[in-house]
Amino acid sequence: MDPIARERLFGFRHAFDSPVTLWITIAVIAALLIATVIIWLLHARGRTSDKLHDELVKRVVSWAVMTPLLLGPVLLGAAWTILAVAILSVLCYREFARATGFFRYRSLSIVVVLGIIATTFAIADRWYGFFVAIPPLTMVLLAMVAILRDEPRGYTQRVGLGVLGFLLFGLCLGHLGYMANDADFRPIVMLIILTVELNDVFAYITGKTFGHRKITPQTSPNKTLGGALGALVLTTTLVSTVGHFVFAGSGVDTPVKLIGLGLIVSVSGQFGDLMVSSIKRDIGIKDMGALIPGHGGLLDRFDSMLLVAPAVFHYIGFFRGFGLDQPTRIFTGGG
Amino acid sequence: MEEWRFEPAHDFGLSAEQRRLSLRREVGLESAISCFLWRSITRLYLAIAHRLKIRGRENLPKRPPFVLVANHASHLDAIILGGILPLRFVGAVFPIAAGDTFFTKRASSIFATAFMNALPIWRKNCGAHSLEDLRERLLQGRSVYILFPEGTRTRTGAMATFKPGLGRLVSGANVPIVPCYLNGTFAALPASGTVPRKCGGSAGELGASAAEDSGSYNTAITT
Repeated sequence: MDPIARERLFGFRHAFDSPVTLWITIAVIAALLIATVIIWLLHARGRTSDKLHDELVKRVVSWAVMTPLLLGPVLLGAAWTILAVAILSVLCYREFARATGFFRYRSLSIVVVLGIIATTFAIADRWYGFFVAIPPLTMVLLAMVAILRDEPRGYTQRVGLGVLGFLLFGLCLGHLGYMANDADFRPIVMLIILTVELNDVFAYITGKTFGHRKITPQTSPNKTLGGALGALVLTTTLVSTVGHFVFAGSGVDTPVKLIGLGLIVSVSGQFGDLMVSSIKRDIGIKDMGALIPGHGGLLDRFDSMLLVAPAVFHYIGFFRGFGLDQPTRIFTGGG
Repeated sequence: MEEWRFEPAHDFGLSAEQRRLSLRREVGLESAISCFLWRSITRLYLAIAHRLKIRGRENLPKRPPFVLVANHASHLDAIILGGILPLRFVGAVFPIAAGDTFFTKRASSIFATAFMNALPIWRKNCGAHSLEDLRERLLQGRSVYILFPEGTRTRTGAMATFKPGLGRLVSGANVPIVPCYLNGTFAALPASGTVPRKCGGSAGELGASAAEDSGSYNTAITT
């Protein structure tokens, strides 16, 4: 294997090559500790009820488990990042399939999972041609396999759910994994994960403080204009400030383009959240699962990432490119 | 335009542990794969080590729902019956297992669900509603049950009287019952044994025969 590719895929010694990676890691761990102390203090002084306290503790514990699972692979190397994204894709797809009932069409479900596996391989191989060939090929396979049942009633729904499932969880999340093909992927991936999650937090906090006017009473009654605008301002500020250090000297490093990046993260993040809310409302369920205590399913937590990943990937790709200096087709050869 | 119809998994929203104990459990890709692997390995083992012979396979219904009932002498019984069913039923076949034997410890309940796809029934106080749940699931038409109406493995080798649960499960419903006779499992791995005896002489040799569904069978056990 090419030594440059090997260092990127498995070179955990480079974990903190970029100072931004170190800052973000320290900041996240500090934030978790501070949150724990605050929750404990609030309860000790009787400011939070037992019920609220239990809820908060559950959430912090969930974050304490999720944080190393998110940050660990990114620090260890690109191979683990790509693998972690693949596992996330499969688990999110599983929740989607069980919620919609699509999992009962087992052969179609196998096609979607094979599509996710193939996508993961294309990413690890850094073979962009294959990466973009898989979605149409998956669609072709779904359309063909769905015919084998010889049951036209519901055919469109079956193929449609399969295509949507693959596009959302295989392709959209796959873009997050593809970012690991950049030599400097750690700060970029961390910046995106961190700001997408904080975008939710900002919307929640500013919504609680300034939010009055509901923007989507049918889809998600808790979303307010104040929360949406507050998140837009705070997330854009955070992304453009930290982004200035992450993308220093590259094509993205101008004030206008950095603000554009921040707006994309915040807007597509909030719409991703609302998209999953719409799907849940359409099906008639409250949560997408019960995997993460205090959060619901995995999809309830990572809904915002779905639309951010491709939008940000192509925005950065347009001005800067991803891993253009890296060797391509690492495993399949052929250059 | 007509709206799409969604039917979430019937065990949707349950935790992993609740799912294992739920009679509404629906099998996803991951359990289907693990059950398939287990089925392949045990079939190979039974064929080689015990020279399993099967008669009357043509009497099995072509599609669910139906209930396989058999005499019960050994832990091998459910494995054998699961293995004789065609591959396309993987994930649809549910051995009805004693909850108090297989579902009280975490490890054994994971094994029973992930590899055997078993559904628990609690022998001491199962209650009417759990039989009602099992019956409802059978009537939905997607499941095959493997059931041992004696309720426990024979300790002597002789067949015991049947418990009435089977009758309550299927009475009045148009669900075929396939009686099977298992021969040799008592010699190969009786309730008192821990390791199956390999086929030395005739002791470990197994036979399973599925008889044709007799119409009067259903009423025969309820009365």
